[in-house]
Amino acid sequence: MIKSGLPIRNLLRRPGRTVALVLLTAFLALSVFGGSIVVSSLRSGLDSLQARLGADIIVLPSSARSKVNFQELLLQGTAGAFYMSADALDRVREVEGVELAAPQTFLASLKADCCAVKVQVIGIDPEADFTVQPWIAQSTSRELGDMDVAVGCKVNANAGESLKLYGQHCHVVAKLAETGTGLDTAVYCNMDTMRTLLIAAEAKGVTHKISSGDGDVISAVYVKAADGYDIDGVMAKINAHVRKASAVRARSLFTGAADSLAGISRTVSILAGAVWALALVILLIAFMMMTRERRREFAVLRLLGASRKGLSSLILIETALCGLAGGVLGVGLAAMLVFPFTTLIETKLGLPYLTPGMGTILLLAIATVLATVLIGALASAFSAHRLSRTDPGTTLREGA
Amino acid sequence: MTKTKIPAIIILVLSLLLAIGSQTFMGACVHDDGSLGACHWAARVLSGIGGLLAMLAILALLVKKERAGLYLAMVPTALLGVFTPGTLINLCGMATMRCRALMKPAAMILLAFALAAALIGWLMSRRNHD
Repeated sequence: MIKSGLPIRNLLRRPGRTVALVLLTAFLALSVFGGSIVVSSLRSGLDSLQARLGADIIVLPSSARSKVNFQELLLQGTAGAFYMSADALDRVREVEGVELAAPQTFLASLKADCCAVKVQVIGIDPEADFTVQPWIAQSTSRELGDMDVAVGCKVNANAGESLKLYGQHCHVVAKLAETGTGLDTAVYCNMDTMRTLLIAAEAKGVTHKISSGDGDVISAVYVKAADGYDIDGVMAKINAHVRKASAVRARSLFTGAADSLAGISRTVSILAGAVWALALVILLIAFMMMTRERRREFAVLRLLGASRKGLSSLILIETALCGLAGGVLGVGLAAMLVFPFTTLIETKLGLPYLTPGMGTILLLAIATVLATVLIGALASAFSAHRLSRTDPGTTLREGA
Repeated sequence: MTKTKIPAIIILVLSLLLAIGSQTFMGACVHDDGSLGACHWAARVLSGIGGLLAMLAILALLVKKERAGLYLAMVPTALLGVFTPGTLINLCGMATMRCRALMKPAAMILLAFALAAALIGWLMSRRNHD
């Protein structure tokens, strides 16, 4: 019969060996938990962007060179500056199968007093808008009035505060939920506010690709197709009907991001798989060496009355404890490396990146710790089985 | 080498990373117009705190009798560093700026480890002294 405190005493008696095993399993847990969080965040980011865009078709000026600029604007928050006449909106609305059409105007390179960098100002028509308005409605029931703005979650201003853009005080009415994309650094206002800001910028000697005297210009039209209409068909009709503009399917804008996400998922999976395989081999060797080194100790325990099953469980418990400590340490280290640097990872990857909810994180953490304990136990099971078959008398007669 | 020196070595490495890092790879950026933001001054203070911690760690390696006291002195120094970016000195408004995306979290992690090492070092040195 083996006393219940023996595995812990064994581990404490050899701190060097215990620390090495804990660090090895911690590395395993770190790679798996860290990788899972990154992949999961990329998936959440892409889902959030798809939900946020909310349109079937996006009509852009031909000068936007297909969808490249727009994709950068969405995913990385780079300043977009492409324009077409506001007449395009009326032309789009004339097309059969178009249920809703809402314009947006991008004003790039506005430097806000809140921020050391330029923020992207996006003008919307609150009455026609169906893409941003539902997100604003989550924070306020109020419509965007003159000099009202709704800000992305990464702009340093909260609802109720004032945001200074080109010396003009704008009232922040809503702070939008995080999307993990460039939209988090955008500032939304109505078209009149945008015109006021443009005039204020010109008064300060700052020029843009558009000026206050250019008349009505827009950057994009977001279209929702009516029920029963084929989206590709509506898109083709828009392309034929609206000059100097091209319609793209909203879904196609995500294709590049989805491909990159698949590539990253594959790489992370391969790396994690390699780490696990390597760790399994190292743990197998480590346990074989450890049991060989401790065979006299185990032989004495057998002679003192410990059963074969008891001896095997002693090794398994020791390994499970190391796996548990290593798993918790690895998950903790991964959390310290991944969560504080969320914005940095998002910027460097250039992909939508949204940390999953607490429930998912907890689930991943528990699964990682359990997997680490399991792989440790699996690696030691072979050694435990071999050891339980050895005759203690022979071991002691052979000497060390 | 005595065990009580190990935390000092760890703190030395962490504080040098903080002192050099906050002026190089994780330092604040210069604005488009060449002006310096609050982040720049926060980075300078972090460098100073890193340098001070490094000096305290070197002293802790050199002396034996006063080691516990030196470890204890590192605790408020590291805490000062923790409260510097964002609390004592403002950082840039935009969360995507390098000072907020990299410098602040990296400094927090380095200083948290240094703080833990200083407390462990103090406990170990005090026990040895007793």
